[in-house]
Amino acid sequence: MNNWTAGHLPGLAEEDVTWQTLSFGEGAQRVSVRVPALQPAQLSALAQHVKEASARQLKRLPVSRIVQIIDAAVTRLLDPRDPYRQEAERLLPTVTGYDAEMVRLGLTGFLQTFRAPQLQRFIAEDFTNPKVLDEFQPAVKGGFVRAFGPDLLVHSWAGNVPALPLWSLACGLLVKAGSIGKLPSAEPVFASLFARLLAELHPPLADCLAIVWWKGGDEAAPAALFQHADTVLAYGGNEAIAQVQRQVPVTTRFLGYGHKLGFGLVARAALDTQRAPATARLAAHDIVRYEQQGCYSPHLFYVERGGKLAPREFAAYLAAELANLQQRFPRRALALEEAATVSGWRQSAEVQALSQQGVELLGADDAAWAVAYSDTPSGLAPTGGGRSILVCAVDALDHAVPLVAPHARFLQTAGIAAEPQELFRLAEALGRVGVTRITALGAMTAPEAGWHHDGRFNLADLVRMVEIEQSAERAADRLAPYAQEERA
Amino acid sequence: MNEELVETLLAFLAQDGCSDAEFDALALRLFAHQHANNAAYRRFCQLRGATPRTVKSWREIPAVPISAFKEVTLSCTPADSAERVFMTSGTTRGDVKGRHYHPTLAVYDASMTRNFARRFMQGVERLPMAILFPNEQEMPNSSLAHYLALAARHFGSGDSAYYVSLQGLDTDGLRALLRNAERSGGPCALLGASYSFVHLLDGLAAVGETFRLPPGSRILDTGGYKGHSRELPLEAFYAGLAATFGVPRERCINMYGMTELSTQLYDDGNVLVPSVKSGPHWIRSRMVDPLTGREVPRGERGILVHCDLANFNSVTSILTEDVGVAVEGGFLLLGRAEGAQAKGCSLAVEEFLQASRS
Repeated sequence: MNNWTAGHLPGLAEEDVTWQTLSFGEGAQRVSVRVPALQPAQLSALAQHVKEASARQLKRLPVSRIVQIIDAAVTRLLDPRDPYRQEAERLLPTVTGYDAEMVRLGLTGFLQTFRAPQLQRFIAEDFTNPKVLDEFQPAVKGGFVRAFGPDLLVHSWAGNVPALPLWSLACGLLVKAGSIGKLPSAEPVFASLFARLLAELHPPLADCLAIVWWKGGDEAAPAALFQHADTVLAYGGNEAIAQVQRQVPVTTRFLGYGHKLGFGLVARAALDTQRAPATARLAAHDIVRYEQQGCYSPHLFYVERGGKLAPREFAAYLAAELANLQQRFPRRALALEEAATVSGWRQSAEVQALSQQGVELLGADDAAWAVAYSDTPSGLAPTGGGRSILVCAVDALDHAVPLVAPHARFLQTAGIAAEPQELFRLAEALGRVGVTRITALGAMTAPEAGWHHDGRFNLADLVRMVEIEQSAERAADRLAPYAQEERA
Repeated sequence: MNEELVETLLAFLAQDGCSDAEFDALALRLFAHQHANNAAYRRFCQLRGATPRTVKSWREIPAVPISAFKEVTLSCTPADSAERVFMTSGTTRGDVKGRHYHPTLAVYDASMTRNFARRFMQGVERLPMAILFPNEQEMPNSSLAHYLALAARHFGSGDSAYYVSLQGLDTDGLRALLRNAERSGGPCALLGASYSFVHLLDGLAAVGETFRLPPGSRILDTGGYKGHSRELPLEAFYAGLAATFGVPRERCINMYGMTELSTQLYDDGNVLVPSVKSGPHWIRSRMVDPLTGREVPRGERGILVHCDLANFNSVTSILTEDVGVAVEGGFLLLGRAEGAQAKGCSLAVEEFLQASRS
């Protein structure tokens, strides 16, 4: 059996901490991960420690230097010979249950969006002049402006999509915030590894960042920590976010990122004998990557009628591609509850197929995927996950817009295969009803660097803009020792 | 309606038990009947390659997921000729209700009364009953309302009464009743939905009142909370019942029933939770892996499948959404499987449904 310790607790001695064990995997693959269950007083002390250290260290680094440090860490994690990378590759498949090869490829693709050029793009997306993060810069309207990041940014992560905490960790670092992150019980590995790697690469950072954990439902721990935070970021379901929000003081900035539901649109231009198989392959890839557990993962494809291939044939191609991918990236083992959800969805599609014309379920009973096809358009709803997908025929892709519109608060990513004019027309309509990210099929699970997560500004939302108005500048001028008497 | 089949069934229910072979024989006869007379079920069986020729034991009868009761008409007789239609409360999927058609209530009623006498009354003929659920006139499509009406009619004494209406719980009426019962010294029974008991416990806690109901008094709760009241862990719930009413936990019986069944399962009290549930000789249960439909090894958690021979007109075998584990003398009910939390950041079915309800 494997034992591993998660967390990163600068200033706290290991023996003073109560540890809890989370178990993952079975048999020889079994991993026990120790996570720190901190007392409220310890979390308060940690908050002070991180705040003071980041005031001393992190806040003094120019943003370009921070980009270098993150880039160095990411370069290490992209190197297959690096021990941190190897540790991630060893632990993440067991902890998350995802296929090892899928984790390896997914991690590499994900990390590539955090190299120096991408990080610079990330900053440029939110700040036309990135130097505002370092010092006062002239403002276009006059005067000067500077962006200050939080002294303490608390992250409450959720979910098991590997390495997801890197988004908010990198954002926190770029705005020079001391950070304390709460590990998700479903994936306590990556954030811990990343914090340790940063500390190794640039030792002063070791004290500017802490990785903690508390048991779900614990109220005292988060309450103690949130008191010290300027900003709290929370990821998870609406209920979990609401629970965090209740504990955050009203004067603290709170940013919640809820669960989302992705979907795809396939236009008739993509439906000829040459293009359809490739389109289906890309769609299948989006379904398989992270087993539909990402906020950007698709659960439904609306497919346009009138192409050389009918939507029903596209569904058959999609089924074939899912069968292929099962060979290459077998589906992760499902817990009983997940299996019940998957089979419940499947059975309900099966029963609908029995009772309604034009509904079909593709895939054998024991297949590790399922494609339901419906001749009539249906509203957006999650499938059971675990590679189950609904393909819906529509006369025109515009007809999909009112079907997704009622679920505005759950919209984020739409994958589109259509010609340019169509793309922009649909983007306009989808944007209007709540979609915030439009991407190619095959790229749904890999947002590009600098994307606006859920339509928000990743960095700008974290900072406080401080302005020196022109009047202050002029008034100062008058008080300068070199000031000359104003001539009337 | 096949009257001969109903007669056979009523005789079977009246037996003192049955052998495995007898159970199988009747299960297979019912399967052949349902396969022949229920078009939706026949198509469902076709998909699974199951016919009366290939199915050799009750375990092989294709189990219909309870969600199918919402999608198709599962009845061997014309749906509009049913004596009664029970409908699910529609808590899981908005307003789509599952429908269970009963061409006659004779079998349901025989199943209920025979089993109730043994598991809840335990030899007592009649008791004054306080029912914490609306009556049958207020909820004509509720199987639970009918169940409780049967309890009151066949086992309640003259002073039995309802304390919940569509307007809510009559806490004051109940307090008066409980005080009377305490003084009278004769045993009584409280029966109703679990969430009504939570409301009652909260109401009594608010006024700081507790009771010591006379020996022999008993409580029957059923159905969980379904979002009607706060979620109370089983341990706290039964500790609360025992402390508030003075009824020992071995006389706090939980009934596990479903609109899609015609037979109920019970435990023998809730001294230990979760309790062991079991049913009479005309229902059998097994735990399966939902993905493969195969039975899980004994001692492992699985999704419950029931084969209820009293379900003569719909389908005998249903696949529930409940998690159970087989133990000596029955199974432990471990809750609903559908509450699977999203592990990633993709919206889960459950959260979506909650959001669309609110």
